[in-house]
Formats: sequence, C-alpha cells, structure tokens
Amino acid sequence: MAARRKRRGESLILRYAILGAWALVCLLPILWFATIAFRPRTEIVTPMPIYWPTFSLDAWHLLISDWPIAKYLRNSVVAVAGSVLIDLVLAIPAAFALSRYEFRGREDIGFYILSTRMMAPAIVAVPIFFLFRDMGLLDTVWALMLVYAAINLIRVTWIIRSYMLDIPKELEDAARTDGAGDLTILREIIVPACLPGIITAAVIATIFAINEFLFTLLIASTERAYTMSVALANFTGGSDGIIYNAIALVSFIAFLPILILVIAIQKHLSRGLTMGAVKG
Amino acid sequence: MASIELRNIVKRYGAFTGVRHMSLQIADEEFLVLLGPSGCGKTTTMRMIAGLEEPTEGEVVIGGEVVNDVDARDRDVAMVFQGYALYPNMSVYENIRFPLRMRGTAAGDQDALIRRAADMVELGDYLDRKPAALSGGQRQRAALARAVVRAPQVFLMDEPLSNLDAKLRASMRVQIRHLQRQLKITTVYVTHDQIEALTLADRIVIMDKGAIQQIGTPDEIYSDPANTFVAGFIGSPPMNLIDGTADAGLFRAAGVNVACPDALSGPVTLGIRPEDCAVGGDTLRGTVYGVEPTGDLTYLTVRSGAGTLEVKAAREFRAAIDSAIGIGFDPARLYFFDPEGQRIRGAA
Amino acid sequence: MRRAFPYLLLAPAVLYLLAITLYPGIFAIWQSLYVVRFSGWTWTGLDNYREILTDREFWAALWNTAVIGGIALALQSVIALALAYFAYRDPLVRGWRIVFLAPMLFMPSAVAFIWKLAFNDGRVISDLLMRVGVVDGNVDWLSSIPLARMMLIVADVWQWTPFLFIIFVAALQGQDQEIEEAARLDGASWPAIFWNISLPLMRPVIVVAVTLRGIDITTMFASVYVMTQGTPGGATETMSYFIYRTGFRLFNFGYASAASVLMLALTVILAQTVVKRAFRSGKS
Repeated sequence: MAARRKRRGESLILRYAILGAWALVCLLPILWFATIAFRPRTEIVTPMPIYWPTFSLDAWHLLISDWPIAKYLRNSVVAVAGSVLIDLVLAIPAAFALSRYEFRGREDIGFYILSTRMMAPAIVAVPIFFLFRDMGLLDTVWALMLVYAAINLIRVTWIIRSYMLDIPKELEDAARTDGAGDLTILREIIVPACLPGIITAAVIATIFAINEFLFTLLIASTERAYTMSVALANFTGGSDGIIYNAIALVSFIAFLPILILVIAIQKHLSRGLTMGAVKG
Repeated sequence: MASIELRNIVKRYGAFTGVRHMSLQIADEEFLVLLGPSGCGKTTTMRMIAGLEEPTEGEVVIGGEVVNDVDARDRDVAMVFQGYALYPNMSVYENIRFPLRMRGTAAGDQDALIRRAADMVELGDYLDRKPAALSGGQRQRAALARAVVRAPQVFLMDEPLSNLDAKLRASMRVQIRHLQRQLKITTVYVTHDQIEALTLADRIVIMDKGAIQQIGTPDEIYSDPANTFVAGFIGSPPMNLIDGTADAGLFRAAGVNVACPDALSGPVTLGIRPEDCAVGGDTLRGTVYGVEPTGDLTYLTVRSGAGTLEVKAAREFRAAIDSAIGIGFDPARLYFFDPEGQRIRGAA
Repeated sequence: MRRAFPYLLLAPAVLYLLAITLYPGIFAIWQSLYVVRFSGWTWTGLDNYREILTDREFWAALWNTAVIGGIALALQSVIALALAYFAYRDPLVRGWRIVFLAPMLFMPSAVAFIWKLAFNDGRVISDLLMRVGVVDGNVDWLSSIPLARMMLIVADVWQWTPFLFIIFVAALQGQDQEIEEAARLDGASWPAIFWNISLPLMRPVIVVAVTLRGIDITTMFASVYVMTQGTPGGATETMSYFIYRTGFRLFNFGYASAASVLMLALTVILAQTVVKRAFRSGKS
C-alpha cells in the first residue's frame, strides 16, 4: 500500500499542452486574418509575408465607397430572416405531427424527410436554376429566401420535433380535458413549452443560411441579390487581384453575429447540430 | 482488513459546511453504519474515505496510513453505489473482471476469482448477461460481486438497498451481513433507514447537519439516546417527547403527571417510547385521535394538552375516536432531556 | 376530421419539400435525356449517361470526393475525440468550447479565403515551414496533387472539427458520473476508463455525428471554388464542383443533369443502407 502513494489527478501538463495547442491552431489564423482586415492592400499579397501589420483602414474605405456592402448586408439579412420565418411556419406544425400522432406512414415520411437532408445542393442546382429562371426570379432575394428555406426545412423540423417529444403527454391531456382543441393546444401549450428548441432551430437555420454558397452563387448575379457569403468571391479588383482586406473585413462582419447567437444557445448546441440525436 | 480513522475531518463547500469536525475510529472487520436524514453529511463522509472527495481539513487514515494524498484508485477500497454503477457495455462477468484487470491480477487467476465472487452472491448463472437484462436485485448483487472480487481492505456502501422493494430489501440485508461476516472486511454503510442500521450494524454513527449526534451499538442507540434528535430518529414510531417542568420530584405537563428524579428541576423534556406506554393508568389523560390495527399491533394516537402521543397497544385493542383515555408510562423507561435537547443521564 | 389532422399539419412542409426535391429530381431526369444548348434542347436519349460513365473526369470527381472527404473526416474525428477526452472533465471546459467553436462560425467561403491566403497568395505557411527548416524554398501548393488536396483537407478539418468536438463533449458529460467513480475505485486510470467504458458507451453518438459530418463533406464546394477550382488537373474537383463546372462553366446542362441524377442515385443507395443503419443504431 505504501508503494502506491501517488499524487492525485492525472497529468495536467499533457492535457493543457494538447488543448492549448489546438486552441492556438484555432485562434492564430483568426487573429492573423483579423489583422489582414486592417492592413493596406500592398502588404497582404507579398513575396515574403509581413507579420507585423501596419494599421490601415483601407478596407473600410473600400467597402463603403467601392462596394455596396450595405446592399450585401441587407440581402443577407432579408433572405436569411425570411427563410427562417418560412421554415418556422412550416416546421412547427410538421414537427408537432411527427412528434405526437401515430399515423400510418409516419416512419416513412419521417425517413423521407431525413434522407432529403442527404442530398447535396449540387444535385438540384441545375433544375433550381432553370426553375427560377423560368419564373423570372433569378437574381432576386426572394429566390434566395425560398432556397434557404428549403435547405433548412428538414433541420428545423427535426430539431423542433426533438424538443416537442420532451413535453409530457399529460400536459396535453390536461388541456384536452379542459376543453382545448388541437390548434389551441399547439399554440398555447406546445409552442411555449418548446421555445428553447424553436430558438435553437432558428439560430442553426440562420447559420446555415448565411453560409450557403452554391445556390447563392448560381442565383445571384448582381448586387441585387448578392449576400455576404458570395460577395466575398467577387472582391477582385481585376488586375489588382483579390482584395483580401475587404474579404477579411466582411468575414468578420458575418462572424460576429453568428458568434453571439451561438453563445446564446450554447447549451443546446449539440442537440441542435445533431437534430436532436445527442442531447447536450 | 484495515482499521479506519477520521481525524477532525471538515468538509466545506464555499460557505456551506457539509461535515463539521468529525472524528471517528472504525475497528478492523467492524460493520459501521452512518445513519441520518438526507443532507446530514453521511455520504460526503463516506466519499472522503473513498477518496472521491477531499476533506477541507483533517486526515483520513486507512490501515494506519494517512491517505489524504492517495488517489481513489490506489486506496484499495471497494464501493457499492446506490445506483449500482455497473458498466452497461460489459457483461456481468466482465464487470466483475474489471477491477482484477485494472489491478493487474494474473490472467490465469481471474476466472476462479470471478466465479467465486459470483457464487457468493448467487449470480453464477447470470454471468453472460448485461446489466440491462438484470432485475434490480440482480444488479445489486452484481455490484456486490464486483466489490468483493478483489478482497479490498474496506467496503463502502452508499444506500445500496434504497432502490429495491421492501421484500427484496429484507432478504438482501441478511445476505450483505452474512457476506461481510464471511469475508471479514471493514465496512462502512450509509443509510437513512433505521431498520437497516439497527439490523446490520456493529456500531451506528448517527449524524445530523454534518455533526455526529451519537456513536454506539444498536442497543445503546435505542435504549440510551444521547439527545432528542437520536431519540426522535430511532424507533418506529419514534420516541414520544413531552415538554414540561420538573419540580420536587414531579414532572408536570398539560394532562401529564409523573414522578421524576428529585435532581431535576426547571423545564425538561420527557421521553417515552410507544411500546413503554400502556392503555389504562393515568400518567397522561387525553382523547383518542386514531386507532390503527396492523395485525400484530395496534397503533394508538392520543391527543392531549401535551401534544400527540403514540402508543403501541395490544392487537385486539379498539376504542372510539374522541373517547377519553388514560395512558400509563413505565416508570423504569422514562428519559429526560434538558432544554437544549441533551440527555440528562443518571436520571432514569 | 381528427384522423386527417396530422396529415394537414404535415402537408405544407411536405409539399414544400416535394417542390424542392421531387420537381427538380424529375426535371433533372428529363433534362438529362437531352443535349441542352442555348439554341434549344435536342433529344439524345441515354447518350449523356453513356458519355458520363466513360468520362474520366466524372470518375475522378467521385474519387476525389471520396479521398479528400475520407481523409478529412478521419482526421477531424480523431482530433475531436482526443480533444473531447481531455476537455470534458476540465474546469475550463466552457472556455475551450468557445475557443474551439470559433472556426466553425465563419462562413465556409471566408474560411476558404483564410487558407487560400495562408497557403498560396500570402505564402504564410510556406514561410513558416521554411523557418522551421522543413522545406527549402517557396512551396507551390497548387503544383502537386497531394499538396492541393491537403489545402482542402486542412481547411475542412480546421473549420469542422468543432462540430464533432461539441457533440462528443456533450455525450461524455452526459455519461453517468457514478460509473466513472466506480471505475476509479476499481483501480482504473483515466485513459483506461475512457477506453473501456466511456468510448464504448459513446459509440452510437460517434456513429451519428460522424455520419452527419460525412454527409456534409461529400458536398464540398465552396473551398474548391475559392481555392483550387479543381486544379491540378482536376485532382481536387469534387462531385459538386464537377456538376457546377459542366453546367455553369461549360453550359452543358444536359450533361450536368445526368451527373446530378447519378449522384442522386448514389445518395439514395447510401441513404438506404449506410445512413439508415447508422441512425437506427444511433437514435435507438
């Protein structure tokens, strides 16, 4: 027994070495990119990288004067917010049905919904392009809204369903014996009870909508519909090459709200990302 | 096989003190029960012995060695958890094998030890099953087997029977006691159930709010309580406590008149166990509040100016509710407590 | 009326989905039977399919997606698991979570630009490697197949490891603490506890999370578009980029539709076999 005297706990050194190393891997590129946003163009694409930045608000000027950043922002916000709204309106009833009712085909419809999630955007890229072209909706924010809503619908539905499943059936039974009809129950009992789930779903849908690239690239061709995600790809000054400081700046403009939203729902993050499969 | 000693143990969580200045000596092979209500610190104390928590002050000594700095995995202590804590992904056999593997027992010896442990708890036929396929009682025994297999120095048990139904509890109690006697391992057992404590323990440590109220054998705890807490905790129904005044050899409370030692004077509390009260007699006069026949006994509740009194009456006893009744106290079984709740000894 | 209610609730969502999946699916199948030019559509039957299945670039795209995606997935899974093991019991776990989460919060196109700058245009990585002595001169990351693929892999691993990390940590923290304590008392070291108990218990979660991430990886597009555009020699062209290129660069829409249909077929097969099993065992 005396031989086995050991200091409590395991090697903290190893633990912090590994975690610290990855933290650096995460943070250094971000910090470096942040400095890029504040450098003059000449300093960025150079034969030898310059590490110590010279401060310059070049990018900001560029953004405001040469590029309609406000438009890009507006398009992003409108398309994303609109799509999330559409999704919630469609998903809440659907999630309710999937979580509560036993009916024929439930498993199959559920699986169909799930498997559409597997579809790469590229698969429907060409048809969607033609669809919107024929409807005259190319290069509009409406088209983007519809597309974002489509790609997020499954996710949103499944997340909300997961939260609805947690609501005890007794709550509904009590409401029913009190005389409430189905819609009333949905509106006044279920929705308030799974509000965290609804918010989580909305935040996650927002993130994926902001990030969307392929469809936006195909649909948007002018500033009328460019969002931040795709506008980045257009920061080329012709012969000057890629305007990185502007890109960096816009990247952070998109990053900050997402960061805030994610911190707000951190407790629910795991559950949201796995569409309910892994409860945080 | 080891003795355990706690020297002035204190456990604080921020501003809250979970265990205060606890000193205790547990002899080798002793079956010691830590008894008390929820939150009294009994589980915390046991976890400090296990090494799952560190004392804020004081020393934990196992087998004569101070083990404060020794990690839980090196203390040679086995624990049975309230929820059994069986490894869900392993069969019973693998569960029991786990401690042997971790301690580096020779592979050739493992099988015999595992089967022996399983046989001790009569789980020999269930070795291939996973915990999910076992009943509550079987899981309990699997947890025991796992604890037993490596013959540790100390057994710790954290309310192991509280998740079982009453009948199972009774039979498991006997088995646990038998096992401990057979293996001669020092055991610390935590429970809030006084029946378990009274039937299993060599000695009982009653705790409340982080402090030891009394240490003693079950007999001592029962017939010689140190304070009103112990008196009111042990016994079912618990001891009746009546507040009154003692003066010149007479204890008086509303509706109560009884002789008491001359030495007593001033406000005291009288204690009398329900089984030491007899119907008829006039130490106390009151009215019948409830009559509960239970087959072998009838529980009688009497209301009087002195409060509610519980009496264990003969099984044929019946009376009308609200009828007047007189109760006699066995004069040899009176207990007296001072206003702080401490027992006044040498009095009864 | 009661019986119809659930169907009513589901109808809007399902209809919307059908519009987005069934209609394009049918359209794609239909269009794939034609050669589509600006002048008009010419019937060509299954010729597009014949061409595609013998098209070296099509198979290359499939192969690239598998290789790049597979390596990236394997790497991020292992890293995320290791990080989760070290972090889940740490008092600073909330801090680690936020820090590790940061890369995931950038737009994928932004991340692509970060690494494009670091690898190619800004030459930062090459410079660092030179200082450490690993390489002699500037490295042209687009010049060789493994290097170009490595860029994409690095970008994906950097951005998406947190996805798995968050899920793994949540799963580990959700495990019964008593079981860990029991193992501790049984004499197990923390690595032994992880290997024998926590990891096996985590298996369903790992399957679900890695499957989800795997599905997403097969759709890799933005980083290819930004960083490599498929070079060198098409070695970094993923399936999505192939469809994009044939459809919207070469404007060979019928061909692109055929590729889309094939990819859809592949998806359905995978969904029926791999994913169904994964989710059944995972969701239990």
